[in-house]
Amino acid sequence: MIQFRQVTVNYGYVPGALKDINLQMHDGDFTLILGPTGSGKSTLLRLIYMDILPSSGVVTVDKWSSFRISPRQINRLRRNIGVVFQDFKLIDNMSVFDNVALPLVIEGYRRKYIRKLVHVLLDEVNLLQSKDQRASTLSLGEKQRVAIARAMAKNPFVVIADEPTGNLDREASKNVLSLLERINRNGTSVIMATHDYELIKETPYKRIYMENGEVLPGDRTINIPNKRINILANKE
Amino acid sequence: MKFFFVIKQTFSNLWRERTPVVATILTICIALTILVALFEISFVLYDQLRDLESNMMVEVYLDPSATDSQVKVIQSELERYPTIERLRFVSKETAAAIFNEEFGENIMDILDENPLPVSFEVRLLREFNHSEYLALFKTQVESLKGVDEVHYRHALIEKLEKVTEAVAIAGIFVLIILVFAMNLLIRNTIKLSVYAKRRQIDIMKILGAGNLLIRMPYILEGAIEGFIGGFLSAICLIFAHKFIAGSFALVEIGTSTYKVLWVLTISFGILIGFLTSATSVGRFVNKIFAKK
Repeated sequence: MIQFRQVTVNYGYVPGALKDINLQMHDGDFTLILGPTGSGKSTLLRLIYMDILPSSGVVTVDKWSSFRISPRQINRLRRNIGVVFQDFKLIDNMSVFDNVALPLVIEGYRRKYIRKLVHVLLDEVNLLQSKDQRASTLSLGEKQRVAIARAMAKNPFVVIADEPTGNLDREASKNVLSLLERINRNGTSVIMATHDYELIKETPYKRIYMENGEVLPGDRTINIPNKRINILANKE
Repeated sequence: MKFFFVIKQTFSNLWRERTPVVATILTICIALTILVALFEISFVLYDQLRDLESNMMVEVYLDPSATDSQVKVIQSELERYPTIERLRFVSKETAAAIFNEEFGENIMDILDENPLPVSFEVRLLREFNHSEYLALFKTQVESLKGVDEVHYRHALIEKLEKVTEAVAIAGIFVLIILVFAMNLLIRNTIKLSVYAKRRQIDIMKILGAGNLLIRMPYILEGAIEGFIGGFLSAICLIFAHKFIAGSFALVEIGTSTYKVLWVLTISFGILIGFLTSATSVGRFVNKIFAKK
């Protein structure tokens, strides 16, 4: 379970990146965080993998609490979380295989086990044939699939996806979403921040709408070009 | 697997930053070569000084008018000195024989008389063969009645002592400057490596990599630069010995000295590379990511 209790984040002298957030995300949920650019979606996600710590309030992720956490414990937490970014955060001069293997190398697994697991993961995202290619040579959609395979390498209890389709075309975006849905069906929680409302409009997942660092309550209709959709229509 | 990853990253860093890496290696090589050469020169000078000192005789010339009883008193006074290793009485006749031996001519044939004074040849204990004690000894002995002059090659000793001291001071001074230069260059290379790989480090941090795994490739990078610099320095020094010093017969060194040279330069190179990178990489990583 992930819990935010009265969480406020101030960046330096700029106050209110997040304002008094109270949230709870349950194990196995697929949660969508929606809102315009600068609304605080990424800040909310960074708090989960403790890239930043709250200025006030407490974030609890599984057994780890931001209230008292050492750098070593943050490392341990991150090894139990999968993170997918808009810019993929792949190491360009490494092969696809090495990128996916990286979390396993960090954990200190044996070479044989890593090879086996990475093959399975790459097969899952349909990139086994590209395993020896440099990450830099892949298309954007393929890069994001590699990033998802890497996020899944440690069998995390939650996958955080920060605008994972932000750089992708419609087809690749759908592929990424369906991969994340498949991961969620296998029991892993997924938290996805996006402003691609068109992509998620048909999905039945829990939605959290953010604006100006605040979580907005209740049903909300948002404007997208040529359409008006109710983003909380399928709220649990 | 972590081990292979660290090794792979280390060599990837070395290859990626090859220009500053080569500059660093060359600096370490030059610095170590100069350092060791300076120490060697110091040792050679020191050895020669010691040789000269241990073979040096102090001559106590007696007044020509000194009586036999005065000579005996002087001898017994000198024998009381605990700093004297050997004392030898040189009569006028012995002095003439020495002259004859050294110059191949009989002094009596040249001057019709023997003007050489009676003297004592004194060899001091090795640890008292320095200019400070020699000056004190000269003053004390010259104050004895019947002693004309105490003579030793003080000018040469003092000059050699000064040169040895100057080389030692220059050595320390150069050591400080070169260690500083090596330190600066290694730090700079590590900084460039860390900066070039900041994205990778960021990704590794997000994936939960510990400090040691992130820093180890850079620490090893410094140690490898030190190793190669030390290795090249040893080659330069051995080359210098064989083709420069050998031809002037300045220093004669054997196989064991070569071994010492290898061990000395390589271990010093590794040590300085390792310590510099180990103490700086954490700071660079923290500095770069503090700006995030």
